[in-house]
Amino acid sequence: MKVALAQIAPRLGDIQHNLKLHQNIAAKAKKENVDLLIFPELSLTGYTLKDLTQDIAIDARKDAVFKKLKVLSQGMPLVFGFVEEGEDGLIYNSSAFLSQGQTLHIHRKVFLPTYGMFEEGKFFAQGKNFRTFSTPFGKAGMMICYDFLHYGASYLLFAGGSGLNIITSAAPGRGVTGDSSFATSSMWELMGKTIARFSSAFVFYCNRVGLEDGKVFAGGSFIYNPAGNLIAQAPYVDEDFLVADIDLEEIKTFRKKWPYRRDDKPEIILEALKRIVKNYED
Amino acid sequence: MKINAPFVEKILTKFIKEELSKFQYKKGILGISGGLDSAVSAFLAVKALGANNVIGLVLPYGEMSRSCEKDAQDVVNTLKIRSKKIDISPMVDTYFKHHPSSDRRQKGNKMARERMSILYDFSEREHALIIGTSNKTELLLGYGTIHGDMACAINPLGDLYKTQIRQLAAYLGVPEHVRKKVPTAGLWAGQTDEDELGLTYKEIDQILFLLVDKRMPREKVIDSGFAKEKVNKIIRLIKGSEFKRKLPLIPKISERTVGHDFLFPYDWDR
Repeated sequence: MKVALAQIAPRLGDIQHNLKLHQNIAAKAKKENVDLLIFPELSLTGYTLKDLTQDIAIDARKDAVFKKLKVLSQGMPLVFGFVEEGEDGLIYNSSAFLSQGQTLHIHRKVFLPTYGMFEEGKFFAQGKNFRTFSTPFGKAGMMICYDFLHYGASYLLFAGGSGLNIITSAAPGRGVTGDSSFATSSMWELMGKTIARFSSAFVFYCNRVGLEDGKVFAGGSFIYNPAGNLIAQAPYVDEDFLVADIDLEEIKTFRKKWPYRRDDKPEIILEALKRIVKNYED
Repeated sequence: MKINAPFVEKILTKFIKEELSKFQYKKGILGISGGLDSAVSAFLAVKALGANNVIGLVLPYGEMSRSCEKDAQDVVNTLKIRSKKIDISPMVDTYFKHHPSSDRRQKGNKMARERMSILYDFSEREHALIIGTSNKTELLLGYGTIHGDMACAINPLGDLYKTQIRQLAAYLGVPEHVRKKVPTAGLWAGQTDEDELGLTYKEIDQILFLLVDKRMPREKVIDSGFAKEKVNKIIRLIKGSEFKRKLPLIPKISERTVGHDFLFPYDWDR
């Protein structure tokens, strides 16, 4: 199976421009016989939207641009990020998995970073779930950026049976040291390797690049296989189109060798969590 | 506090290039003082935009700092950028002739604002965006003139401490005599930053790095080997200069207030 990560720099607040960008990259991916194309978080809108968030939100059930992306998915399944206006009128930071002109799943970001340079909690409603869903390539699950830094989210995808963990991201780099990358890039890589290895699942992490209001999106998108080995990585900071061949059989092979999933005890974890939550001190 | 100079150069040139293109500018303009910071900003600007698209203004106050003017000229010549020299003493002197002052700091601030005023005028004449030269050390200590040398459109140096700028300067090939010279704000003849602040940049940057970047409490910074008076002085300077790092305060009386809950990206519609 061929997976492509589009490490792009969307134009802030310009859906039409970004739609074109998606279409152009999809055409390129098609030429290279890509089976699954993944775009970063908020790839259709850009990230630092602030008060533009509400104006740029689209309803996945009726929006014209969303329909065009569905059409695009007839040629090849794709994942992209957008600002979603829910049926309840709330605004979410969402990623959609489209295939054969259908929406297979929309994930609404649960963990909205609202600290330091981040203010997502000010502009977005939080999603409430981490669901796995069936794809032409087996069970998959999605996370958006900061979701992935909460390993409980990855556990839910693991317990839900995901073999393909798709993480879309708009992660700025922080911290310059003696290294030729941002200090924070290694944090994502550490989590990627660890989650892949201990979920016995593929991890596709698609980060964006470009600058918005002085934030430097760090790129460095990567793919880890279920053994926790790095399959491919895009450069830091620069645009890239990363294509990698992966072997889906590795999920099964690895799960036979290391039965983490067979021996998982979600019931015990669930009961323990209930007790922990119940005994929270006021 | 070591930085990887090639990586930092790459990020900062990308920043300059992208921001200018978003605002549909091809050219950048900056004041060249002969000091380290403006030299580094100029080198970065040239890497990002090409020498033909960078304009350096040399804005001396009469004969006060002949050697600085020569260093500024060296930077201009090394980079082969277009430059213009404007002596600010006629404007500044005329003002103080009418409104005399014996306060040399006040005079220095006026000079800094005179330079700002010329830079903004030339920004318009040349359709060139003003590239800032204030480093993180100065911004945190408030060691700059508000609406003077701190004024600019974009500031590539704002998240680098002075000692990190020195590392970057060596990599960029800034002339050695500019890199090695004693830092001065040029507010009056013979002034040096370190004398005025009573601390070396090395000490200041290490203390700032622990307090700000590493979020270390004051007591721990002192315990790690820095004199109490020095740490306290730095904290006092940071607190005292917060207004220089903010937009002016607005009483929030309407349903939606500029800068408070009317929030749009800097790169809005760019």
